[in-house]
Amino acid sequence: MSLSNYKVEFKKMLNRDYFSKSLHPFRKEAFSQLEKTGFPTRKWEEWRFTNISTISGGEYKISEIADAPQNPPNIDPYKMNGVESIVIYNGHFQKELSSVPDGVSLLSGLDYLERKNGKFDTANNSPFDLLNTAFADCGMCIVIEKDTQIELPIRILFISNGDRSIMVNPRVNIDVEESSSLTFIEQHVGDAVSFFQNESVFISLENSAQLNHIRIQSNSDFTQNMANINVNQDAESQYNFWQLVEGSKLSRSNICVQLNGKNAQCDLNSLVLSKKNQHIDNYIIVNHNSPQTHSSQFVKSILFDNSTGVFNGRTVVKENAQKITAHQTNKNLLLSKKANMNSNPQLEIYADDVKCSHGSTTGQIDEDALFYLQSRGINKMDAMELMVTGFANEVLDKIRHQEIKKVLHKEFTAKLNRLMS
Amino acid sequence: MITIKNLKVSVEDKEILKGVNLDVKPGELHVIMGRNGTGKSTLANVLVGKEKYKVTNGTVCFNGENLLDMSPEDRACAGLFLSFQYPVAIPGVNNMYFLKAAVNAVRKSRGEEEIDAVDFLSMIREKLKMVALDESFIHRPVNDGFSGGEKKRNEILQMIALEPKLSILDETDSGLDIDALKIVAQGVNDFRSPERSFILITHYQRILNYMQPDYVHVLMNGKLVKSGTMELAKDLEEKGYSWIEKEMAEVG
Repeated sequence: MSLSNYKVEFKKMLNRDYFSKSLHPFRKEAFSQLEKTGFPTRKWEEWRFTNISTISGGEYKISEIADAPQNPPNIDPYKMNGVESIVIYNGHFQKELSSVPDGVSLLSGLDYLERKNGKFDTANNSPFDLLNTAFADCGMCIVIEKDTQIELPIRILFISNGDRSIMVNPRVNIDVEESSSLTFIEQHVGDAVSFFQNESVFISLENSAQLNHIRIQSNSDFTQNMANINVNQDAESQYNFWQLVEGSKLSRSNICVQLNGKNAQCDLNSLVLSKKNQHIDNYIIVNHNSPQTHSSQFVKSILFDNSTGVFNGRTVVKENAQKITAHQTNKNLLLSKKANMNSNPQLEIYADDVKCSHGSTTGQIDEDALFYLQSRGINKMDAMELMVTGFANEVLDKIRHQEIKKVLHKEFTAKLNRLMS
Repeated sequence: MITIKNLKVSVEDKEILKGVNLDVKPGELHVIMGRNGTGKSTLANVLVGKEKYKVTNGTVCFNGENLLDMSPEDRACAGLFLSFQYPVAIPGVNNMYFLKAAVNAVRKSRGEEEIDAVDFLSMIREKLKMVALDESFIHRPVNDGFSGGEKKRNEILQMIALEPKLSILDETDSGLDIDALKIVAQGVNDFRSPERSFILITHYQRILNYMQPDYVHVLMNGKLVKSGTMELAKDLEEKGYSWIEKEMAEVG
């Protein structure tokens, strides 16, 4: 597949003078790398179950000034109490709707580059990170300085609307310095009729830093979504990731965590609710690079209609990484005979003193449990809903922020209700 | 309360019940005993409408209605309850949420108003005392990680919360230590009334030390072959079942 459309758009991009020219060398370098690797095809082992020809062959356009809203968009439907929000609409920052909690520093792309000593992260040249580097058009660089606990969660609300087949490449950098903590929410919403979002998030957690990262993907069922999440963790740091994916036509989360220091710990949770012909893929790599590091992957999918899903969890334990613990659990609930799930939990262990487990189950609703509920007077539909909610609750209950947990419980129940009635 | 006539039931084309007749009147407690594999649990499961049990003959009349035509949930709403021999665990479904949904489903069918969370909690607190369980118990997922005794007590808790007219207790006494057995028996005894009936299925005479049955029946080879009172249970405990087999052979 040639990149011809993307080449045209890339030239356009370089000519837009609102993008800083000093980042152009990085963009060009990334794009030429991408031209070499090309987009993944199903011949690539790690892309075997996900067909992205709608992206590689798509004719997506960069977002123009005209794609920004004429008036401030209405964000009331996405109101979340007790959080500070940054709003990005079709790739355009909505300053008048945005605010951040005290103690949070927002850096420009250039300042951030300086902070990183001119090193631009492209995450080992993964195609979609390269695409993001080439086209990065919005996002945030968030820095939490040493010994700072940010109580108020910070949210980026990404709204995608319109029918112009635009492509947006948000790039989010989050640095949590030593002994600091933050709750970061990214929420993807909107009614776009055709849209491609390729998001890259780079997270760096210094010693004893903590980040709660909540990702809610509920944009329209016509969008293509790539989320590339790269996490680097130093000693004693904790990364808690929680996501709900229920929007999009095609969606893949590429999550890669590097546990680089003793007692670094990551807890990755993902809940998928798919319907119609949606395809939702969770591709997770956790690298235990240091001894005494701990990881957990917990992914559950609920599949309706002829939707399809993938779980690919890979945990790699390096040779010297003794006394680590790693767990992978994938559970899938098929609510239709036409739904299809591919589950592939993998452990690659090169150390000999480790505690690892992995398991995967895919099945229909437990008929015995269903009967049990019916025998107590609950009708079949309500019993089903109770069980599906119960299945999801195991993931929903892992949200560490009580208010947000409540909001998501409610939202999830409403979504499920609509699907089951 | 319930009248079972010539009930024949097959599982996967194998006939298990071969013509069961039983009449239970309001307020009565009937005990059904029998060896393993004689069809005791089949009888319990077919009455609550478990799909894999196929009725090939006979009728079951429950308070004037044809029970066999009703869905499992309608049977429950009409006042039938089974304490399962092996209650299933339902991870993720909160016990309290489940109990409230069940109680409200039954109330709704009776034309009563749904009970709200506050009233429900105070109601369930009272019932928890009756089965000697503490409150943390209802905030756990249904039967998930429960011990054998806890599962059985949870069944009894559901029974006294749903207030059924007829309760079938399928080996509710199996696997219980003596203290748990007493709690379960006491829970049932406190719940007995002139309007409520019980069918107790058991292997052992043990639980009958704490309950007063009106009738004791022996299920053998798919039929209720002998009926009596408490004395019969004592005979069985002492002599086993083979003397009944002999008796049957002589009659046969």
